[in-house]
Amino acid sequence: MSLLGAFARLGLQRCGGAAGAAVARCLHTTPVLCAEPLKKKKKLDPQIVKQREDRKKKKIEKQIRRLEKNARQLKPVEELEVPLELIDEKEKRQRKLTPLGSAELEERALLKKQWAHYKHDERVADFQIVDRLIQAQNKALAELRRESEELYQAAIEVDPQLLPVAVKGPVATPPIKNYASPDGDYLHQSMKWEVK
Amino acid sequence: MLRRFVQVGARELRRTQSTAAAPEKWDLYAGVLVERLPVVSKSLNPLEKQFQDMLWRVEYENSLKSDHELKHEREIVQAELIKKGKVQVDLEDSGAKQTAQDLKDAYVEELKKFQLGSRTTPDDQANKTSSTDRCLEQTLYLLVQQKLGQQQHLLLPQGKRQEGETMRQTAERVLREHCGQELHVLFYGNAPVGFHKYKYPANQRTESTGAKVFFYRASLRSGQVAAEKQQPKFEWLPKEALNGKLSNAAYAESVNKFLL
Repeated sequence: MSLLGAFARLGLQRCGGAAGAAVARCLHTTPVLCAEPLKKKKKLDPQIVKQREDRKKKKIEKQIRRLEKNARQLKPVEELEVPLELIDEKEKRQRKLTPLGSAELEERALLKKQWAHYKHDERVADFQIVDRLIQAQNKALAELRRESEELYQAAIEVDPQLLPVAVKGPVATPPIKNYASPDGDYLHQSMKWEVK
Repeated sequence: MLRRFVQVGARELRRTQSTAAAPEKWDLYAGVLVERLPVVSKSLNPLEKQFQDMLWRVEYENSLKSDHELKHEREIVQAELIKKGKVQVDLEDSGAKQTAQDLKDAYVEELKKFQLGSRTTPDDQANKTSSTDRCLEQTLYLLVQQKLGQQQHLLLPQGKRQEGETMRQTAERVLREHCGQELHVLFYGNAPVGFHKYKYPANQRTESTGAKVFFYRASLRSGQVAAEKQQPKFEWLPKEALNGKLSNAAYAESVNKFLL
């Protein structure tokens, strides 16, 4: 189209001015429309897209690698760390007691030995009790089996009601009956963690 | 030779006799050992007490001084300086300040006001054996008065198995019959923990020779033996007292085998 137009213009120029003006009057141009068709979505080169994805992947992989590298290092638990002031003031906080005499040390060593014997005897007694209980149970089961195989099979079945088990252990002093516990002050002690 | 022959013959004879009497029928009974577990810990014996004291001393020796102790020491030094007149007393400040000693006194006072629960109960003093609120340090076992033959005996609750029941079901039913619905217990498994067998008196061995009792262990969770069932006596007893109450030596021996 543009070529044709160009030739036409050439021809007109050669024909002379008067004729050219006449032709120009016959030309109509459409007014400018202030609108344009919707922009087409940019078509990205698939290779570029791929590259970008690759880059993203690599970045994440790198992060993972970095995390894995540090996985062995444990995060510090603040509650478990010895407070710095204790380390700093250790000298000041140490008790200055007179060192123990040899008699005292001897007495302690003796007591420890006695204790070891005592605990040993206690343990042996415990084992004996357990043995006795198991023996009694085995005897009962054997007798039951002799009476009836069916009852025996019912007896050795697992009792699912026993789990989960809840035991309230013996305490130093029994609970006070009808004791209304006073409302204390609540101090919120848990740490607040901020995300950096 | 001849003597030996006679011996063998006699043995044969005995064996045939025993096989003839072999299909003995025994009644199956379930018994329940209900225990009230200790509520408070055992009091320490002299050696344990001594050892605990030593551990506490060692603990004290190895410990570092607390902030409170440091503050107390600082205040003592300060007070001495003031006494000597080396430091000016800040009147406004000293009046309002609570010293470490003051705080300590206040704490001690507060602790004194608090009454810990007693390790012995009124039922201990009254020796009320029907109560579970006594002998808190020990395990208590339930004995129920039952009629065996003509006589009344204090025994672990027991009863005969009915057709179609497992021994565990019998044990649960027996306990309910003896103690009512209010007694909540936890049975330790389906297996019996102990066994006892006794023969009926000779004149009563019509159907079966005797009884085989299978004992189940259960621990008391809550509740009490039903009040209207109190007519037959029941008692909660620690181990030593329990042995005193069991009149039959063979029964006591069988029971003792599975007591803790």
